[in-house]
Parts: sequence; C-alpha cells; structure tokens
Amino acid sequence: MASVTLEGVKKIYDNKVVAVQEFNLEIKDKEFVVFVGPSGCGKSTTLRMIAGLEDISEGTLKIGDRVVNDVEPKDRDIAMVFQNYALYPHISVYENMAFSLRIRKMDNEEIHRRVCQAAEILGITQYLARKPKALSGGQRQRVAIGRAIVREPAVFLMDEPLSNLDAKLRNQMRAEIILLRKRIDTTFIYVTHDQTEAMTLGDRIVIMKDGFIQQVGTPQEVFDTPRNLFVAGFIGSPQMNFLKAKLVRTGDKYAVELLGTSVALEDAKCKKLLEKNVQTKEVIMGVRPEHTVVRFDGSDNAIESTISVNEMMGSELHLHVNTIAGDRVILRLPTIDLTDEQRAQLSYGNKLYFSFASKVVHLFDPETEESLLF
Amino acid sequence: MNDLDFLRLSKPQKLLHKLKTAILGIPGKLLGSLKGLVMWFVNLFKGIGHFLADLVMTYVRGDWKTKISYTVMGFGSMARGQWLRGVMFFVFQTLFNMYLFMPILKISESREPLCGLNVVTLLANLGTVETAKKGRVTVYGDNSFLILLYGVLTLFLIVAFLYTWYVNVKQNKISEQILKSGKKLKTAKDDMASMLDSQFHKTLLAIPTAGVTMFTILPIIFMILVAFTNYDNQHQPPQKLFTWVGFENFQTLLSAESNDLGVDITDKGNGTVTLTITAKDGDIITVDTTDVAAAQAADALAVDSSAEFSFETIGTNAETGKDNYRLTFTGDAGEPVTLEATSWLYVSTPSFSHTFKQVLLWTLIWAFFATFLNYFLGMLVAIMINKKGIKFKKMWRTILVMTIAIPQFISLLYVSKMFAADGLINGMLMNWGWITEPLPFWTNANWARVTIIGINVWIGIPYLMLIATGILMNIPADLYESARIDGANAFQTYMKITLPYMLFVTGPYLLTSFTGNINNFNVIFLLSGGKPLGMDLAGNAGNTDLLITWLYKMTVTDSNYKLAAVMGILVFVVCAVINLVVYNFIPSVKNEEDFQ
Amino acid sequence: MAKKNNIPEVDIIVDEKAGVIREVEPDKKLRSKKGHERRVNGAIYAILILMSIIWLCPFVFLVLQSFRGESGGQVAYVIPKQWTLDNYAFLFQGVGFSLQTLVKDLPNIILTVITNVLGIWGMVAFLRRKPKNPIEKTKGNLKAAALVFGVLLLINFMRCVDSTNCDFVRWFMNTLTIALFCAVIQTVMVLSVSYTLSRMRFKGRKLIMNVVLVLGMFPGFLTMIVLYYLLKMFGLTQAGAVPGLILISCASSGMGYYISKGFFDTIPKSLDESARIDGATRFQVFLKIIMPMAKPIVIYTILMAFMGPWGDYVFASYVAFGHKASYNVAVGLYRWVNTNDYQGYFTRFCAGGVLVAIPITVLFMALQKYYVEGVTGGAVKG
Repeated sequence: MASVTLEGVKKIYDNKVVAVQEFNLEIKDKEFVVFVGPSGCGKSTTLRMIAGLEDISEGTLKIGDRVVNDVEPKDRDIAMVFQNYALYPHISVYENMAFSLRIRKMDNEEIHRRVCQAAEILGITQYLARKPKALSGGQRQRVAIGRAIVREPAVFLMDEPLSNLDAKLRNQMRAEIILLRKRIDTTFIYVTHDQTEAMTLGDRIVIMKDGFIQQVGTPQEVFDTPRNLFVAGFIGSPQMNFLKAKLVRTGDKYAVELLGTSVALEDAKCKKLLEKNVQTKEVIMGVRPEHTVVRFDGSDNAIESTISVNEMMGSELHLHVNTIAGDRVILRLPTIDLTDEQRAQLSYGNKLYFSFASKVVHLFDPETEESLLF
Repeated sequence: MNDLDFLRLSKPQKLLHKLKTAILGIPGKLLGSLKGLVMWFVNLFKGIGHFLADLVMTYVRGDWKTKISYTVMGFGSMARGQWLRGVMFFVFQTLFNMYLFMPILKISESREPLCGLNVVTLLANLGTVETAKKGRVTVYGDNSFLILLYGVLTLFLIVAFLYTWYVNVKQNKISEQILKSGKKLKTAKDDMASMLDSQFHKTLLAIPTAGVTMFTILPIIFMILVAFTNYDNQHQPPQKLFTWVGFENFQTLLSAESNDLGVDITDKGNGTVTLTITAKDGDIITVDTTDVAAAQAADALAVDSSAEFSFETIGTNAETGKDNYRLTFTGDAGEPVTLEATSWLYVSTPSFSHTFKQVLLWTLIWAFFATFLNYFLGMLVAIMINKKGIKFKKMWRTILVMTIAIPQFISLLYVSKMFAADGLINGMLMNWGWITEPLPFWTNANWARVTIIGINVWIGIPYLMLIATGILMNIPADLYESARIDGANAFQTYMKITLPYMLFVTGPYLLTSFTGNINNFNVIFLLSGGKPLGMDLAGNAGNTDLLITWLYKMTVTDSNYKLAAVMGILVFVVCAVINLVVYNFIPSVKNEEDFQ
Repeated sequence: MAKKNNIPEVDIIVDEKAGVIREVEPDKKLRSKKGHERRVNGAIYAILILMSIIWLCPFVFLVLQSFRGESGGQVAYVIPKQWTLDNYAFLFQGVGFSLQTLVKDLPNIILTVITNVLGIWGMVAFLRRKPKNPIEKTKGNLKAAALVFGVLLLINFMRCVDSTNCDFVRWFMNTLTIALFCAVIQTVMVLSVSYTLSRMRFKGRKLIMNVVLVLGMFPGFLTMIVLYYLLKMFGLTQAGAVPGLILISCASSGMGYYISKGFFDTIPKSLDESARIDGATRFQVFLKIIMPMAKPIVIYTILMAFMGPWGDYVFASYVAFGHKASYNVAVGLYRWVNTNDYQGYFTRFCAGGVLVAIPITVLFMALQKYYVEGVTGGAVKG
C-alpha cells in the first residue's frame, strides 16, 4: 500500500528521442489510475519507468516516501502484468505463480497458501498443474495477474493486459479486474489505449499524447470538461463532433453562431468566458453525438444536413450526416420510438435536421486547441 | 495424491514422488505393453485373415478379366482400356519372371550362372563348392558374399513383386466397382496428369525411396545377416566360403569374461609337460615342467571355479640362464599344489568382450562431454557475444565460425600434427624451456582423451554458439523483465529462465547431438586415429577409439566383417535405447512441439 | 542544467603510476553499478580476444607453414626462416592447359561454343544489369541464369585442364566434380522428400518417417563393404570412383530431410490451399509458390551438399583404394601427411590445405546467413 509520486519525470532515449516529459502526478494510496492515449504517447514508457525497467532521465519518482530512481525493480515492492503475459513456458502455472516467492526464499507452506489463495480469487485452481501452453488466452491472463497478486505488492502495474484478448473476453476480464480491485485493495496503475477501459476502470484517468500529460481527472471530469481538443476527441465513443462556429459576445452574454443558427450560452459558461475576457472570435465548437437532438423537420434553430451513412447499433442509430458547410457530424438516435415513416426517411441522401442545447457545447480555441471553458 | 498436493511439495520431495510413481507404474506399463503386444498379434492375424479372404472373394466374385489378372498381371487393366497401368504391370511381371528363372547370376567359377530362385535356395548355407586346384589353376568355388548379396536382393524383389501383384488385384476390384456404378475409369492421360497432382507425392518420393532401398536398407539388412556368419579374414570369398554361425559373434563381443582358471597339459616327451594356464583376466601363461604328477593335480584342481594360482621366482637356471618359477595352485577341490617350472611364456590376449566394454564406456563418456561441454560453453559464448554493450558482435562470430567453414580434414589433421610429439606445441614449449620431455598428447591414453575433448570444443563451440544465438534472440524480452521485477538476479535469471528455456527448446537437438557424437567418426579418426593402442584391448582397438572408429578398423584394416556387423547392430541398439529412454522419461522432448 | 551539477565532469581518473582505474565518484551506488558493468565487459572482451587467438592461430600457422622453405616436417617455430612458393609450385607441377581438348570433335565443338557463348552472355548480362532495374523478377532470373552459365563455364574450363600428370589438380577437379553434382542432385532429393513429408498427407507417411529414423541410428560405415560391392557390380570403384561416390552420396541423401522439412512446416498451409483453389496442381504449387519462398533453405541445402564432399575421406578412400587418379582432396592430402615421406610432404600438405580451404571458406562466409538460418531452425525443430 503506497502512494506513487512523479515529479518532472522525463525520458530521453539514447537516440535523443524524447518519450516522456514534464510528467507530474501524484497517485494516492489505493487509487486506481489509468494511463490512456494513442500508441507512442509514452504511457507504457512511464509505466516501465515506475517499474524500474527503464532508467529515468530526469525528475524524481517516489513510491511511498522513498525516492526509487536508482532502486532495482525487485526492491520497489511492485508487481507487473505484461501485455504478452510473460509466463515462463517451461514451468507449471503453480510454479509460475510461485516464482517470485521462491526467488525470495519464502517458506514453502507460505508459498502454497498464497498461490492457492490467488488461484481461488482468479478461479484457476484446477489449472495449477498445467503448463501455460495448455491454457486459453483468458486463463493465461489470469495466471499473469495471479503471479502479480501473490507478491502482495504495494503497487500493481498493468501494461495493456487485455489487448491480446478478443472483444467478448475483454469485457469479461474488465469486469473481473473491477472485482479483483475490490478484493485486493492496493494501488493500481493501468496502461491502455482503449478509452472504454480507462473510463470503466479508473478512479482517475491520465490522458497522454506525444509524451505530455493532456489532462488528469476522474472519468466524469474528463468526459464533461475536456481540457483541449485532443482529450475531447479521445474520450467518448462515438467521437465528439467538431464544427466551425463563431463565438459572439454581446455585453456579458455569449452566443454561438453557426450555419444560420444561434445558440445562447448559459450563465456558467458565460462566466468562464468572461473570466478569460474572450472577445467575439472564430472557435471550434464540440458537441457529443449523444447530446444532439435529431429532428425530422426543419423547425427553427435546427441545422440542415444530408444523411451519408446510417449505422444500425440495435438500441440506437448512428447517423453520419453532412452539413451544408461540409462538416461531418455524427448523430445518435434511439430506435425505440421511431415510426416506420421516420425509419424510411433515414436513408442515404435524405435531409435531416438536428439541434443541441447550449449546456452541452464545448468551445475550443482554433489556434491553441485549448478549451475556452476550462 | 492430487495435483495440488503434488505441487506444494519441495523439489526433492517432488523428485522422490515422481520416481516412486515411475517405479510403481512399471508393472502396469509392462502389463499394458504386454496387452498391446497380444492385441497387436491378434489384429495382425485378423488382418491377414481379412486380407486373404478379400483376395479369394475378389477372385470368386470377379469377372473373367479379373480372374486372368491373377496369373497375368495387368491383363484386367489392359482389357478395361487402362493400357498404361496394364502395360506397366505386365512388364514388371515379365522382368521379374526373367530374373527369377533365367540363369544370369554368376556366383562361382565352378558353376554355371544361376537363376534368382536358385540363389535363394543357396542362402541356406551360403555355398557349398570349395575353392579347388585343378593342376596349376585355382578354380574358385562359390562366392558366399555374392550368394548372400543376390539372395537378399532376390528376396527384396520377391517382396516387391508380391506387393505389386496385390496392387494389381486390388486395381481390378476397384475398376470393377467403378464400372458397376456407371462411372468412367481413369485414362492413361488422367494417370499421367495425376502424377503431378493428386499422386504428386509418389512422383517426388519415387527416386529417393528407390535410392534409400537400394543403398541403405538393402546393405543394412545384408550386414545384419553378416553378423550371424563367420565372414572374416579367415573366411574371405572367393577363396574361402563363409557360413551361418548363429549368435556366436554376439557371444564373442558380449559374453561375460571367464571366471575360471583353465589348465591344459600337453606332453612334450622326455618327461616334460607343457602347462597352458588361462588366467582369469584372459592372459595365457605357458610353462614347462618336469613334475608331471603335480601338473595333473593342478589340472584337476582347476575344475573348481574358485581355483586360483600364484607364482614366485626361485633362482636362475645355471644352464640356460633363465629364471625358474614356483607355481602354487589353490582351490576347494583338493589340497594346494606346488610345482616348479623351467620356462615362462606370457601372452596377453585381451578378449573382445572386455575391449567392447572399454570402448563403449569411452564412447559414452566422449558423447557426453562432446555434447554437453560444447553445449554449455557454446551457450556461454553466445551470451557473452550478445551481451549489451559488447561491440563487434559480427566480427567475433565470424572468427569463431572459421572452424565450421574450413574442411575438417584440413583443420583437424593440422591440429593433430600440432599436438604431436614432434609438433609445434611441444617444440615451442621445449624451446621456451617450460618442459624437457614432449607432453604425451597422443601417446598417453588419458592425455589423448582430454586433448580430443578439448579440440572438439574448438570445433563444436561455434556451431552451438550460432544455435544458442538464434534461440536467445527468440526468448521474449518480457520474460526477463518479469523476472527482474520478481527479483531474480543475473545468475538466477540464467538458471531459471535462460537455461530451462534453452534446454526445453533444444531438447530434441541435444538428443540427436548425443547420438550423433556416438557416431562422430571424423574428430577421432583425424585427430588420433584411435591411438594410443592399448595392451588390454583386442582387435587393434585404441584407447580413444569409439565404437564407430573401431568398426571402421575392423572393416578396413582387419577385414573382421562379422564383428563389425555385430558392432553396427550394437551401436544401433545403444542409440535406440537412449532415444527410447529419453522420449519416455523426459517430457520436454515430447512436448517440444506444443512449446513453439 | 540541474543534471550537470549532480555529476562531476571527471568521474574516473586513471592513476598512471599504479596503472589502475580508480573511481572517485560520490554517487556511489550508481557509479559502482556502472563500474561493475565495465569490469564485466572488460572480462568478456579479454575472453573473446583470447578465444579469437585460439581459434585463428592454427589457420594462421597453416598458412605460414605453407610458405616455409626449410625442409622437414613440423618445426618448433611459426614464422618461416626462408619464404618460398615452392610448395605451391609443387601442387601444380605437370598440369597442362589445353584448349584442344575442348574442340576434338564436332558435337564437342558445338557444345563448347553454345555453353561458352551462353555462359559469357549470362555473365555479361549479370554484370551489366542496372541496379535500378525496377522488375525484381528479371533480376532474380538473371541471377539464376548467370549462376547456371557460370557453372557451365566452370565445367568447360575444367575440361581444358589436363591434370593427367598432376595429382593435386586432379584431386581438386575430382572433388569439384563430385561437389557440383552432389549440390544439384542432393538438393533435388532433399527438397522432394522434405516437401512431400511436410505438405502432403498420405498413407505411409508416418511409416516412412519412422523407417528413416530407425535407419539413421545405424552407423554409416557399417555398410561400407556392401556398398563397395554394389558399386563394383556397376564398375564404379577405383577408376570409376568419382561417379561411384556421386551415386552413393546422392542415393540416400533424401534421408536428411529434417531441416528443410522444418522450414516447409513454417510456410502457412493456406498458401497451398489458396493456390489449389485457384486451380494449380500440386506440382505447380510446389514449383511456383513454395520453391520461390524456400530460397533460404534451398541455398542452405546446396551449400551443405556442396561442402560435404570436400571433407569426405572414409568412403572416398575405400572406393578409390589404390587408384591415385580417383582420389579426392581429402584422401590425397590425408595420404600425404601419413606417408613414409611425411617429412617431405608436410609443407605441401599445408599449401594444398590452404588452396582447398580458401574457396570453401569464402563460399561459406558469403552464404553464412543461410547457414545460420538452417542450423538454428534445425536445432529448434529437431
């Protein structure tokens, strides 16, 4: 049980490539933190620095109160689950799980107790005598986790542990990790490129891009108030729609104008904008598909568009439409209340109208790509 | 005991348990294999029964074309329009009949050529007509070698013919069925096309199979048969016949050494007898004595298996200047006997069985070191070269690989000369004053053995280095990272991950390498030629001879073909036993394929 | 900038008087780790250098001895006191080179002209091919053509060499002939067998593999005498030893299928299946899909088959027994160091050894990549 603190951590490889920089983060004891970002963003490198598998070029890393920059991985009191499981193929599942304990010359009975306990938690007791080769992907994943559990580490590191599983198994294992976390209450650091995993698992999410932290916050925070264009686009599925718009200031009031409609912003937003003293300017407006309202007729303030793709998801429809200005927008439409006529109207080339409430609008500066509302 | 209980045991306990279950399992396994054997025979007889019944039924139910095909092969096929197949069957049958019944095989100067069938009958005793002199001309008799060779060849042909005949009959049956069901038979053109498609494997395998049959299987069967004859330099065709002797040769090589003292008496006249004493270690001592009564008593005493004898020198004979000896025989069969002898002739005659044991022991020791020493050193070198931070990796590798590139007869011959008594190494060491006498690299048995193993390291490391490099690269990096987090240090990582992984992956290789080293002719032959020769070794065997080099000597130098053949069979048995044991007791070899 | 303050600029001082490297770094833990690393690497370099010396010395000595002018067998020094090329000259004594042998009769003339023209054309085409040539396939074909024609040229050249009176050249030619034939025939045999056993499933496949396994456990020289008599039946011993050796080394070569089978096993089956769905026969699949992909293993097989005969002593000496003109280099040179006149022939043996080793070593080094692929694959797959 320990906190993890990173201060100004930087990683430069031998070939002068900077993988991670200005990494400041304090992970509290027993917190579940997820590093998320596209591949090559430095999230795995950061994790490996915490594990001690990569040297830290600059900055300090503390686990608990101890600076561990130059401490060997084995002395950091951590355990790690690898993407490819890293199971030793020549020994049984039992011995795989007992490996680190045996290295530490732990008493045989204690090893047995811990291994059995971990196996029970993960439901792999009946496979203990097998070799890893004789297990399925999900079972191997469990063994890899089990190997980490028996260590009873202060910090639990997981490097894309689910990315080698198929979609169904991944959902199942995700749920199990949530359960697991409840049973072994310790600090978790979890790396993934999948925003769904990040949202569902993390107490806090660290979104990274090109070696920099973009935003740190709870899932709700990063979803509701993305700090910049990247975070806004990365979190949420389907992706947030971005439209060119004009922010108009009239006194202390603001409104967004686009495609002939104008939406007045509510007070909270106006206050934020006022604080920054934003004048009338071109902006990028973001609206999540789930926040749009589809209309079949062009009433006032609705934006006209043409349907290009109609994706049937079962409970809802994802409609890809083009506005007159050429912006591509995704709309979400629940199927449950649709009439047959409406369904018929939702085919390629037909006109469709949509609108949105001012509450759900995100505004970004086109130059800096920073959020104007943060 | 269930899995979990087993897993919680400590290492020695696990080993003990495995051993226990293995030993306890033996009766069950034996019973199982016995059952299997019985079932195999039952199935075999059933199979033969079905097979014969099928032949008969095909004949009875077949039309006239099929019936004629039973005697004229290919008739049915030709009659049904498959002329290519038919002609081939027919030609084969004709050629076979010609071989079988036309006198074309010349096996003796004193006989007319024989036909194949006659040669087979001669196999019974491998020829009867001895070489004889007619006036001044020597007329060679039967050539046992050729009789055996042609005989085996004929038997091969007969088996091939029977199989072809069976195929011919089956063809008829199949053709009839096809025609009955209203389909068309394959034409010659279809047959030709199928040789490159559905029957492509036959096309590809035809020549290799023929080659292996003719130049590997036939010779091996021939040599196995030779092991049961007395074919050696005393019975060399065409001057002499050789014949079957049963298991005599196996006894020569494998029999336990005699435990009995043997005493033979021959009368030389004038009151002197010659006593021939065969000692327990195989040495033969011949002495002359005038004490005939004591000699006979010694002979009687030697009947008992516990009999022993000792001797001492008792002064010199004034006349002849030779030593006189007193021999004392003791045994349970009577009182000790003492006799005095005037002459002493000692002949050491090491037995083949003793020599075989010695050579086999050295062969196994050699194979062990040649395999495992090279394996571990090669792996070590590979790890060193591949270590992070070591530069010029390619250069090191290229330098080491030189010993693979240069033909062994050059490198080994040269190195062998370097280590000779008058060679470079001894010469230089003597010049520097480090030694005064040449080091006995090739003249002392143990020096020679160590030198050979050492030089073999020189030859073998690069090969293992290449293999180990390839495998080390394939070990996933995250295994090492995981071990590092688990707290393993460099040595533990090596012992617990690298080494087991290597052993796991290269298990089958180690096995082939071990049997390969048992038969590693080149290194021994080119380095020491089996020398130094040993006083206690029979049949020209040297102290560094492997079974295979000894076999070579028997064939080329001694013409002792019968023992060479036995030895070949024994080498096979040794290799087969090792393979069986390893496959049955070391699971990794079996599971290797899963592991990949 | 902060970093610079932490680490002093000079962290290691070479103490010249004591001749040792002394560490003077305050950040002990980090430094000692690096120092340890350095010591380990130093030790490894020392071992590797020592090994390199051991590995290369015999070959360097061999070359030096081949230039030695002093008579006698082995001497107790490495560098010759008197340098000479006599040993090499001796090897080529009596060798003749006559173009007449090439053009003795009409068919010969035609054959010679065609092969030479094709050979030269192939070589020129190969040398003149533009590196920018966009079509990879043409390049490959050209290379293959050049190789074939190069071999043809070599054979023509070999026919010009009159080695009736020169043992060494004769032996060299014998060995080269055997090696070339083996390289072609053995490769075809090995590839046929390994492809069949890897790709096709038919009755008796397991049986064949087991029989080969069992046969492989019999020592190779066991059957020497029978093979000798078999060859004798066809007149392929003594004077006919060269074709005899080719026959023997090729006949059973199919048994060495393991390594290339292992390679074929790694080529996905779906390739075959897709080609067969496209209408290719098995023969076409073999020729057009698998063979082009199997280039590494083909080269490996050729290399092994070609190198084998250069070291073949046992059977070669048995078959060619007493017939000097049929020896190969191994037999000939082995006899040189084991004759009564060993003293006189030792330096000649060295010279001969150098001349044999150079082409083989160059070839091996050039194709080393394929060799490594072959042996590692073979070891891993058993």
